[in-house]
Amino acid sequence: MLKQVIVAAAVAVCASPALAHVTLETQETPVSSGYKAVFRVPHGCKGAATTAVRVKIPEGVIGVKPMPKAGWELKVVKGKYAKAYDLYHGSVSEGAKEISWSGGMLPDEFYDEFVLQVYLSADLKPNTVIYFPVVQECAGGGTSRWIEIPAEGKKVGDYESPAPGLRLLPKK
Amino acid sequence: MMLNPLAVLGMTVGACRRRTTAMLILAVLVLAAAAGDALAHAALLRTEPADGAVIAEPPTRFSLTFNEPVSPLVLKLVRPDGSTLDLQKPSHDGTTLAVDAPGDIATGTHVLSWRVVSEDGHPVAGAVVFSVRTPSAVARPIAVPLHRDPVRGAVWIIKLTLLASLFFGVGGTFCRAWISPGSRYGMRFVTRMIVLGLIAAPLSVGLQGIDALDGTLSGVATSETWAAGLSTTYGRTVIVAAVALLLAVVASRLVSPRHTRGLSLLALACVGVALAASGHAGAAHPQWLTRPAVFLHTIGVAFWIGALVPLSMQLAARAPEAAATLNRFSRVIPIVLVSLVASGLTLAVVQLEQPSALWTTAYGNVLLVKGGLILILLGLAAVNRWRWTVPAGQGAPEAARRLARAILVETVLVLGILGVVSLWRFTPPPRALASAAQAPAYVHIHTAAAMADITVLPGRTGPVTIVVVTIGGDFTPLDAKEVTLALANPAAGIEPIRRPAHKRDDGTWLIDGLVLPTPGRWSVRADILVSDFELVTLEDTIVIRP
Repeated sequence: MLKQVIVAAAVAVCASPALAHVTLETQETPVSSGYKAVFRVPHGCKGAATTAVRVKIPEGVIGVKPMPKAGWELKVVKGKYAKAYDLYHGSVSEGAKEISWSGGMLPDEFYDEFVLQVYLSADLKPNTVIYFPVVQECAGGGTSRWIEIPAEGKKVGDYESPAPGLRLLPKK
Repeated sequence: MMLNPLAVLGMTVGACRRRTTAMLILAVLVLAAAAGDALAHAALLRTEPADGAVIAEPPTRFSLTFNEPVSPLVLKLVRPDGSTLDLQKPSHDGTTLAVDAPGDIATGTHVLSWRVVSEDGHPVAGAVVFSVRTPSAVARPIAVPLHRDPVRGAVWIIKLTLLASLFFGVGGTFCRAWISPGSRYGMRFVTRMIVLGLIAAPLSVGLQGIDALDGTLSGVATSETWAAGLSTTYGRTVIVAAVALLLAVVASRLVSPRHTRGLSLLALACVGVALAASGHAGAAHPQWLTRPAVFLHTIGVAFWIGALVPLSMQLAARAPEAAATLNRFSRVIPIVLVSLVASGLTLAVVQLEQPSALWTTAYGNVLLVKGGLILILLGLAAVNRWRWTVPAGQGAPEAARRLARAILVETVLVLGILGVVSLWRFTPPPRALASAAQAPAYVHIHTAAAMADITVLPGRTGPVTIVVVTIGGDFTPLDAKEVTLALANPAAGIEPIRRPAHKRDDGTWLIDGLVLPTPGRWSVRADILVSDFELVTLEDTIVIRP
């Protein structure tokens, strides 16, 4: 057991970054303020290069502005929100529901980040976690779906393909 | 001189400080790597042999290739006979784990169950199923022979006792009432058999309960055992059998011959009903043929066997009523024999389905032995009838004595036949075997988000086909984009075997080419992709038969 722990630790130390999942760089933020969501993509799908990244915007996240990436085609799918939210300059009842960067080529051995600027509305509850399901499409037709939302009482670590999560803190 | 503790440990102060710092840095790095949910589940890219492959030659080594370096925790090989072997000393070279295969890989389906730890310390596990030369199932577990299994041995003895008490006791009462009224010979024997039956009947309920719950003899102490025994169709048999025995007791105590005859006839009919109420023969189809056949067969047997001991004792004692009894018996017995043989043959044909089952199945073997013993019995009965009956009926003493002894031999043969017939309790007939073998295993998993009906055909080890029907949480049909199943058997040490399902034209999902290597309780997880961004996971267990 000790030997395994040491080996695991050594492996963790030697390899970098020690991440295989798509995750958010900043994993907690207060509500009722802006937030820069940085999705980190460290691997392709089982070794294949990533060719598209699609992010689903959860309810309550408004004012979405994605950052374009050279070599990738940026598409925004708009739709109606469940209710009207207050944004800086008035209220909004519809906006981006899904963002996708496609047509690119990110080999498995390289790392890249996909960025969104969003506003977390005041209607989101602090001390909860919201999830951004991400679908990663790869060369050769493979897909990695980071869409598992942990059930009550279960941790993110219990899942093989958890969705990137963001812990909401009380408004500052 | 004060002992410097560090000097005792052989370290200098500087070395100790360097070591502590190194440990602290290591700890910080490990913590940093683990911080912010650093999730690094390794993904399996390639295995050798491939999952689901059927290979011609046994492999010499196993290898698992991941997309990042991993450290092995457990590597187990589950063999076709169900035994597991821990594979030692895997070598890992970057992202590939390799281990030498054992030299004695048999033909059949093996499972390489692996569990590794990825960079962040989270374990990842799975199983690779491969078959050498041909897919197989686990060999049938060797059944414990009867004489070594106390529960089944007890069931056999009590069943034999109950049958004997019904035939000798109730049959004997019937014989006394109808064929030799007023005779005292054999009455004590008949009464003792009835008492034996009244003791054996409740005991058999308890034993049936133990057998049904697959327990040990100590189970007689719990009430669930008795409830289980009574709740099966066998419970009905025992209750009617007890009624038959009690009626026989009352009948033998009555004075009026008409009442005695009536009650004993009723008791005999109850014997037939009791034995037709449960058991393989009565349950076969067509019911309109088999249940009456069992009824006729058993009351015929009861008549014949019931008369044996009283007749023998009357003839041996040269009682005055012996001749009359013998004549009456000889007149009726041919009809009874014809009915016995006809009903027996009908049941045998229905149960066996084809003649070859006589020597290929255990049921058929028991039938062969019973048939052999019956032929000997019939031969003896024929000799009795043609050589000794007429002289004994006329009162010749030598003939009477010979006949008495011959009838005793018949009685012993009959006991042997009853013992053989009681073995049928443990051998399902071929018609039942075939349908039981193909019966599917099924589980319905129900959650608010979605439901799945998972059917494994057949529900036993070996090559299986799995059909999954997905239904929405509100009972409307659910058109999923993808369905994947993961089957694991933790008790057998088999990590999840993952298979994607293919959608069929009728909207159901199919997995084939899967071989389930071991029986028992398998945990099944269905991942249903409802939309691009929504996955519903359903988990439950399913029982796979050997």
